[in-house]
Amino acid sequence: MDSSVHLDNTVMQFGDFTAIQKTDLTIQSGEFFSFLGPSGCGKTTILNMISGFIDPTQGDIKIGGKSMRGVPANKRPTSMIFQNLALFPLMTVAENIEFGLEVRGVSKSERKKASDRLLELVALEGSGTKKVSELSGGQRQRIAIARALAVEPQVLLLDEPLSALDLKLRQHMRTELKAIQRKTGITFIYITHDQGEALTMSDRVAVMSAGRIQQVADPITLYKDPHTAFVASFVGENNGVSGKVVAANSDLVVLDCGPLGKLSGRSHGNVAVGADATLFIRPEHFRLQAEDGMHTLGATIDEVNFEGAYLTLNAKTPADQALSIQLGTHQFSESLKKGAPVSLSYNEQDAIVIAGEGHV
Amino acid sequence: MFSQLKSRFGSGLAVGIIGMIAIWLIGMVILPQLLMVDYSFRPNLLPADIGGPKDTYSLVNYETLFSNKIHLAIFFKTIWSSVLVTGLTLVVSYPIAFYLAKVATPQKAALCLLLLIIPFWINEILRTFSWYIILAYKGPLNALLLGLGLIDRPIRFLSGDGGVLIGMVYAYILFMIFPIYNAIESLDTNQIKAARNLGAGWIRTHWRVVIPHAKPGIATGCIMTFMLAAGSYAVPALLGSPGSRWFTQIIYNWFFEGGDWNQGAAYAFLLLVICIGFIALVMRVFKVGLGDIAK
Ligand SMILES: Nc1ncnc2c1ncn2[C@@H]1O[C@H](COP(=O)(O)OP(=O)(O)O)[C@@H](O)[C@H]1O
Ligand SMILES: [Mg+2]
Repeated sequence: MDSSVHLDNTVMQFGDFTAIQKTDLTIQSGEFFSFLGPSGCGKTTILNMISGFIDPTQGDIKIGGKSMRGVPANKRPTSMIFQNLALFPLMTVAENIEFGLEVRGVSKSERKKASDRLLELVALEGSGTKKVSELSGGQRQRIAIARALAVEPQVLLLDEPLSALDLKLRQHMRTELKAIQRKTGITFIYITHDQGEALTMSDRVAVMSAGRIQQVADPITLYKDPHTAFVASFVGENNGVSGKVVAANSDLVVLDCGPLGKLSGRSHGNVAVGADATLFIRPEHFRLQAEDGMHTLGATIDEVNFEGAYLTLNAKTPADQALSIQLGTHQFSESLKKGAPVSLSYNEQDAIVIAGEGHV
Repeated sequence: MFSQLKSRFGSGLAVGIIGMIAIWLIGMVILPQLLMVDYSFRPNLLPADIGGPKDTYSLVNYETLFSNKIHLAIFFKTIWSSVLVTGLTLVVSYPIAFYLAKVATPQKAALCLLLLIIPFWINEILRTFSWYIILAYKGPLNALLLGLGLIDRPIRFLSGDGGVLIGMVYAYILFMIFPIYNAIESLDTNQIKAARNLGAGWIRTHWRVVIPHAKPGIATGCIMTFMLAAGSYAVPALLGSPGSRWFTQIIYNWFFEGGDWNQGAAYAFLLLVICIGFIALVMRVFKVGLGDIAK
């Protein structure tokens, strides 16, 4: 069955405020797709449009190729897991799970079978007669998943479903969600402001900022090849050094970074000589010893933090720019201390140049 | 309570506050009621005979109601009509309360609430009287319906119970809307969305999610409306016809026209008992406790 979701030139406005800028995006059938972005960037609004709680101002939503215009929320083949779960507190666990089937006129015995099967899927056998208030946070989470799956949706929408859980449980649920997705083959559309969640679970991620999709890619590409300054600094940690483009040939760009000298890195070919641009280097790409073809910049150490397997240094360049550096613990030496000078080298293939000032 | 007040105001003031509450409760509420109950069991006597040999306790005053067919009929009609008023008010109020709590934008809801409240700044008698004017045989409502061609002869709205019902629904609608509004307001909107998302139509969403949550508010509204309707005097007096007398009017007559306070007290007490019975019944039906209602 085709359970792809197509945002067909969709725009969403609330009065004068445009919550979602014109977006054209297709989420494949059976894909685990995430929207990643800071709070308020319009993630929930996208889910609300897909599930039919609001209608896009322009454009259309298509599920399985069929236009959803005019299809009310209760007739769409989607199922949502709400940010606050929204379990029905006056119903038992089983009644919660069976609600969608009850609506569809499924007989009591069939419903019971379905809820037993789903409780088993989420490893909560025998909790059907409990009240929702008797469950722990993680258990409620699973009931919400079971309730949403009970109606056998084509598309499951998850609105930051793990944000209320503690770290351990969150990590456990990531694996479990991914497993459920693989088992059921349902299209998962997952929303989060936590990049760890998005990167570990998703087939593809759309990074959003202020109602606009910045980049859609698989997690590794997103990390290695950010297309915008926002993506570069929002996904993982990054150091941005701004300068002026002095040379740009095919995909290698040289920047004049003032007191730091000339630095170069890869680009996607959209920076022009003379324009402002920012060079992004990830903390783990700095080396203390320069090898052939590496670029080096000098800095002064501000702080050394031991984190177990690795060290993080906070340093300042002569241009008073803060840098964050990550080193393997084996590289530790007495000379790495507050106030000491340090020379930092990087491979130009590991750095990305993006047009603009780099402030997001 | 005393220790709380004491820690806040000191023992002198605490004794004072509790004393005043006690005086108010005992002197203004409990004693007069007890006096009425006492009256209701004694015969209506000339001042000279009070305390004399004829002044004995009996159930005679209560028996009067059951032997007077007309009064008994009016008594039951009052109860039944109050139930009807309560039901009608609920049917009208629930959609309004839901709209105010969950559909309208905050600005619109505030405006609607204001528009609902403003008429209640006017005295109840005047408000009721305006309905008298609207519903009159040659009044504007009949004129409008005639003008629209919906009827070809004016309707006598005020001759049966119709006028009284309309007047009461209007008079007590706020007492129904506010508790229900408060209850629905406290419902997480995602619950409604979740029900819709799982495929529930509007009727089922209300029946399974909104109404169960709003039950204490609905019960409170029904109880208040019923009590006010059963105890109403102005509305039936103004909008009622001679054939649609309310039991309160009979009680009034015993007190102020018949001059028989003892008889009036017995009638009033019976009405009170039935009303309390009704409250208990409503709480049973809605499965709510006193604690839920006080919320
Ligand atoms: N019904 C609405 N009316 C007006 N503004 C809204 C409405 N829903 C969301 N917004 C606005 O749209 C923006 C995006 O909201 P939302 O999608 O909830 O963000 P996110 O889920 O990414 O945190 C916010 O600025 C929010 O205030
Ligand atoms: Mg959100």
